[in-house]
Amino acid sequence: MAIITFTLPDGSTRSVEASPGISLMKAATSNLVPGIVAECGGNASCATCHVYVVSDNPDLVCPDGSVEDEMLDFTAEPRRPESRLSCQVEITESLDGLVVEVPEAQV
Amino acid sequence: MTSAPTVELSIDELVRDPYPMWEQLRAEAPVAFVPALNRFLVTRYDDIVELEKTPEVFSSREDGSLLTRVVGPNLLREDGDAHQRIRHAAEPPTRPRQVRDTWGEIFAANCSRVLDELEPRGRADLIADFAEPLVEMNLAALLGIGEVPPSLMGSWSTRMMAGNGNYADDPDVWRNAEAATSEIAEYVGVAVDRVRDQPDGTIISAMVHAPEPLALPEVQNNIKVIIGGGINEPRHVFGTGAWKVLTDPALRARLVQEPTLWRKVFEESARWLSPIGLYPRQVLSDYEVAGVTLSAGAHVALVIGSGNRDATVIEHADVFDIDRAPAPHLAFGGGPHFCMGAWVARHEVSALAWPGAFDRLQGLRLAEGFEPEIRGYVFRGLTSLLVEWDPVG
Repeated sequence: MAIITFTLPDGSTRSVEASPGISLMKAATSNLVPGIVAECGGNASCATCHVYVVSDNPDLVCPDGSVEDEMLDFTAEPRRPESRLSCQVEITESLDGLVVEVPEAQV
Repeated sequence: MTSAPTVELSIDELVRDPYPMWEQLRAEAPVAFVPALNRFLVTRYDDIVELEKTPEVFSSREDGSLLTRVVGPNLLREDGDAHQRIRHAAEPPTRPRQVRDTWGEIFAANCSRVLDELEPRGRADLIADFAEPLVEMNLAALLGIGEVPPSLMGSWSTRMMAGNGNYADDPDVWRNAEAATSEIAEYVGVAVDRVRDQPDGTIISAMVHAPEPLALPEVQNNIKVIIGGGINEPRHVFGTGAWKVLTDPALRARLVQEPTLWRKVFEESARWLSPIGLYPRQVLSDYEVAGVTLSAGAHVALVIGSGNRDATVIEHADVFDIDRAPAPHLAFGGGPHFCMGAWVARHEVSALAWPGAFDRLQGLRLAEGFEPEIRGYVFRGLTSLLVEWDPVG
């Protein structure tokens, strides 16, 4: 299990327990974390599960040239270096304690 | 657990205006069996989202699918890996950056071409004479059959759609649909031969050169589906938004100042008058939703046109308002079948077609006495948009 903390636009936080192997998006939506829409259900086609990952871990940077990299140019809130589509981030034990910022809007 | 109530609905009334009936269903029978459609209708926003994201129960493969009868096995009627394989092969040219960088210029040139021809006329049906040929030209180019005239694209689409709705089993309708699909197969065959040695940015090329390439019949069937489903929807969204802006001078003035607002007009048009009102699923194992049980084998319709007007999720949902708090609409569907053409339509309609028409056609206004006719419940939109402008020259 990994504990992931989501920081919401109103400044409040929500911590959830996530099982390794699922996506960060699933960890959020199955725990009803607001603000993560994920219209396409995890297929990197809709750009509505955008998050900012607060971490120095280079493994958590969006891979250059990936489909995700392309989609991140079309998110509702501006892309930042730490932007990810949460459906493309796989939960591992090493992510325990990760903090993730949920943007103001997804559409 | 109880079974869903049966509700009698008149198809004629649904075609005229389904929204009062959707509202009643949401309030009184959010999962209802409708004999005229021989289906269980799911009409609340939250239930639709839940079912869309449960594809392991709500299958896209459907017994007796007329779509499959018309075009053969295709990605709209597949689940899981079989669907993903086709989707991944076809999708790259429809992703937003490729739409903008590879297709933006070609779509813009098509838009100018149609407007060049239209501008001296001074009056037109902005849907039939502008949006439709533009969408058809863009789609033909994107697919890799750019040589097909727009009118033929439209005729193919219309004949296949008639087949998809041929519940009356009219043999002429089947014949027309078969003629359309065999013509498409021929054009696609030629395109496949061409791109095999010369890959390009088209969908046919993407299918042929995918890591898991599609065989010729798969390419043909799936191109048929895209032609069947890729014209009506952007055309209808164009019509809705253009009509709303032509009847709202304040909004129109804002769009001149801030053309990026057209994108909000797009999303709100797709929400307020969803071009696709509902789509089918078949239940694989008993499932409880909204307090009733849907049994394995049941045919279901996810009524996204209704979900998009669900006031419990979307405030003053019956009002067209581009300034509403951002609310994710269901017009593109959800889950693995999320509309593949979403980014294409967003770009061609909100970045090109609307700004192009409103900019070029000086003094654009509704034709004297024009009253819109809006029809359909499976596919819904304005049937025409008669306009006038001050012709140049």
